[in-house]
Amino acid sequence: MGFETFVGLTLSGLTVGMIYALVALGYTMVYGVLKLINFAHGEIFTVGGYLGATFLIWIGIEDGIPLPLKILYVILAFLFSMILTATLGWSVERFAYRPLRKMTRIAPLLSAIGVSIFLQNLILLVFGVDPIIMPVAAIPEGYIPVFGANFRYLAVIIIVFSLILMGGLTLFIKKTRLGKAMRATSQDREAAEMMGINTNMTISLTFIIGSALAAIAGILVAMYYGTLKFDTGFLYGIKAFTAAVLGGIGNIPGAVIGALVLGLAENYGVGLKLGILAYFFILGLIVGLAYQFYFLPREARKKALFNLADRFSYDEGSLSKVKILNYCYYGGWISGFYFLFKERRDSLVRIHARQAIRVGFANTFLFLVTLIFFLNSNYKISSEWQNGITFLVLMLVLIFKPAGILGEHIPEKV
Amino acid sequence: MKKTFKKEKLLKWSRINRQVLIGAVLFLAFIFPLFNLLGWMGMVWVRLGVKVAVFVLLALGLNIIIGETGLLNLGYIAFFAIGAYTTAIFASPRLGFHLPFWLLFLLSGFFAVAFGFLLGLPTLRLRGDYLAIVTLAFGEIVRITLNNWESVTNGPGGIPGIYDPVIFGLRIDNNFEYYYLTLGLIILCLILIRNLKNSRFGRAWNALREDEIAAECAGIHVSMAKLLSFMVSSLFAGFAGCIFASLQKFVNPQYFVFMQSVLVVCMVVLGGMGSIPGVIAGAIALDTLPEIIRHTFAFWLPSFLGEDFLTSFPPLLQNFLFDFDRYRMLIFGLAIVLMMIFRPEGLIPSRAWQRELHEIDPRLLEETQMIRFDLEEEEKDLEV
Repeated sequence: MGFETFVGLTLSGLTVGMIYALVALGYTMVYGVLKLINFAHGEIFTVGGYLGATFLIWIGIEDGIPLPLKILYVILAFLFSMILTATLGWSVERFAYRPLRKMTRIAPLLSAIGVSIFLQNLILLVFGVDPIIMPVAAIPEGYIPVFGANFRYLAVIIIVFSLILMGGLTLFIKKTRLGKAMRATSQDREAAEMMGINTNMTISLTFIIGSALAAIAGILVAMYYGTLKFDTGFLYGIKAFTAAVLGGIGNIPGAVIGALVLGLAENYGVGLKLGILAYFFILGLIVGLAYQFYFLPREARKKALFNLADRFSYDEGSLSKVKILNYCYYGGWISGFYFLFKERRDSLVRIHARQAIRVGFANTFLFLVTLIFFLNSNYKISSEWQNGITFLVLMLVLIFKPAGILGEHIPEKV
Repeated sequence: MKKTFKKEKLLKWSRINRQVLIGAVLFLAFIFPLFNLLGWMGMVWVRLGVKVAVFVLLALGLNIIIGETGLLNLGYIAFFAIGAYTTAIFASPRLGFHLPFWLLFLLSGFFAVAFGFLLGLPTLRLRGDYLAIVTLAFGEIVRITLNNWESVTNGPGGIPGIYDPVIFGLRIDNNFEYYYLTLGLIILCLILIRNLKNSRFGRAWNALREDEIAAECAGIHVSMAKLLSFMVSSLFAGFAGCIFASLQKFVNPQYFVFMQSVLVVCMVVLGGMGSIPGVIAGAIALDTLPEIIRHTFAFWLPSFLGEDFLTSFPPLLQNFLFDFDRYRMLIFGLAIVLMMIFRPEGLIPSRAWQRELHEIDPRLLEETQMIRFDLEEEEKDLEV
C-alpha cells in the first residue's frame, strides 16, 4: 500500500466521477424542469455508447490509418451518436412524457420505467447479449506518470473534455436567452408561459442537451473500459442519479460535485484498507463539525460545543434554541430526546428535535462504523461491493439529507 | 319512481352477477388441476399454475402499496427474496436447521415485515419518486448481500435441497398439493385484503393516495398509515417467498433481480391499480402469455391447420411467436407507456382510480365558468 496506489485510485475516481457527472447533468436538468426522474436516461446513455462504437466499427477504424484521420473518425462518431441519441431523447419526451404532464405523479414515473425497460430490451434484441467491443484503434494509448501512478491519456481527455462541456453548459444556462428560458421554466412553468416562453420547446431542448451529454458519456465509458453491455446503462443511471441527489437534485454544480464525491468514494471504498478508510470518516466528521460551526452565532458556539442547548432561555426564541440543538453535532441525539419528551406543545421544537435525533443517530452509526474499521484495519472491502457502496450512499443520503450537499435548486411555488 | 325501481333492479342484478362471476372463477381455479387428471393438459400447466398462484400473491401484496396507498415500491422482490431465503436457511441441510413448516411460514413473514419496517421507518416521509428510488436501492443491496454473504447464503451458488413442507402430517411434495396450498393462502389473503380495504386503515390509505395534505388535515396519522401499508405488503411477499422456496427446492440470488420487481409492477399496473380482479387477471395474463402464445402457434393451431401453417409466416414473426419470452419485457414496457397514456386505470379498473384519473378538476371548471360569466357581463355592459 504505497502512495502511488492512492494517487492511482484518486485519478481513476476523478475520471469515473466526471463520466457520472455528464450523465447526472441530464437527470438534474430534467428534474429541474419537469420534476420527473427520467428513468430512461441510463438506457439513453447505453444507446449513445452502442451507436458510437457501431459507427467506429462500421467506418473501419484501424491502427494503420494516420492520426488526423483517426481523430476525425472519432469526432464523427461522437457527432453521429449525439445527433441520433438526442433525437431519441426528444422523442421519448414527446411521446411518453408530454401526454402525461397533467396526470397524477405516479403516471409519468411508471411511464418512464416502461420506456426504460423497452429501450433496454430493444438494445438486447438488436445487439445481442454479448457486449459490444470498442475498436482498439479508437482508444488513445499511452500514459503520463504522476507520482508513480499511470495517468492514461484517455483519462486526461475525459477530464478535460468533461470540464469544457460542463463549463459550456453553465455558460449556456447563465448567459443565453435559451438558458434563461430554461431557468424560468424550472421556476414556474405557467408564469414562464405567460411571459411568452415556449415551454414545450424549452423542455424538449432540456431533453436534447441531456441526451447528447449522455451519448458522450456512453462513448467515453465504452472507450475507458473497452466494452459496453446492454444493461450497463441501468447501473450508470442509478449511479448518476445518486450523484445528482448527493449534490442536490436540480442543482447543476451540485451534480458535478456529487458525481466526483461518488466516484472517489467508490474507488477508495474498495481500493483502500479499512484502517485508512476510517481516517476518511474522521475527516468527514471534522469537516462536518466545522461546517456546522461556521453557521452558528459566535455566542452560541460554546454552548453548542459542550452540548448545553437546554441552557438557553426562552426569550432567545425557541427557534434559535432548536437551531443550536441541530448544530450539536455530537450530542444531538441526547438533547433531541430530551426536547422530544420535555416539550410536547411546541411542535416546531419537536420537529427540530426529531432532526437532531436523526443527526445523532447518523453520527453514532458513523462512529460505530469507524470503530469497526479500526478494529479490522488490515482488511479490504471486496470489490463485489463496489456497486453496493453506491446504493448505500443513495439510501443514506435520501434518509438523512434528501436535499443533498448543496441543497436543491427547486423553487417551490408560493 | 319507475326509474329508481329500474336502477335498484339493475344494481341487484349486477351484484348477483358479481357473485356468480366470483363463484365461477373460484370454481375454475379449484378444478383447474383436475384437467390434468382427465388427461386434457400436461403437467407443465399445473406447474405453471403454481407459479402463477405465487405471483398472484405477490401482485396482491404490491397492489396494497401501489394501488391502495399510491406509493411506488420498486424493490418489492427484495421482500420476496427475504422470505424465500429465510425458508431456505431454516429448512435445508445448508446450516443444518429443519424447522416445522408453520413456524417457517410465520418466520418468513416476520422477517419480511421486519425489513419492511426498518426500511419504511426512515424513508416513508420522502416524496413518491424518491421512495421509488430508495426501494430500488434496497432491492439491489439485498441482492448484492445475498450474492456475497457466502457463509450463510452460499453466494451465487444458491441454497439447494430445501425440505418439503409438512402440514398436519401431510407431506406436500407434488404440484397439485402446492397448487391447493397456494390457492388456500390466496383466498385467506383476499379475505384479509377485503377486510383491510373496508376498515379504517383502508380508507386512510385511499385518502392518502388522493391527497396527502388533505388526509393529514383530516386527522390521519400519515407515517403510521404508510408504514402499515408497507408492512402488510411485505408480509404478503414474505409468505409468497416461503412457498416459492419450498416449491423450487432451490434459491439463488439471480432470481431476485430488478427486472422481477418490474414484472410485478407491470402486473399491477396493466391489470388495474387498486382493483383486485384486475391485479389477479394481470398476474395470470403476464405469467401465462408467453406459454399460451407458444403453445397456440406451435401445437394447437398446427394440429387444426396442418404442419406447414407456421412456416408460411415471415421468419421474424415465427421467431416472435416461438420465442415470446425474449420479447416479453419489450412488449410489457411498451404496454406500460401506452397504458399510462390511453388507459391509466388499467384493464379492469377499480372505480376509485377511474374516477380520480378521468375527473375534471372542479377548481378548473369553476374558473372557466367565472371567466364565461365575466365575458357575459362585459358583453352586457357593451350593449348598454
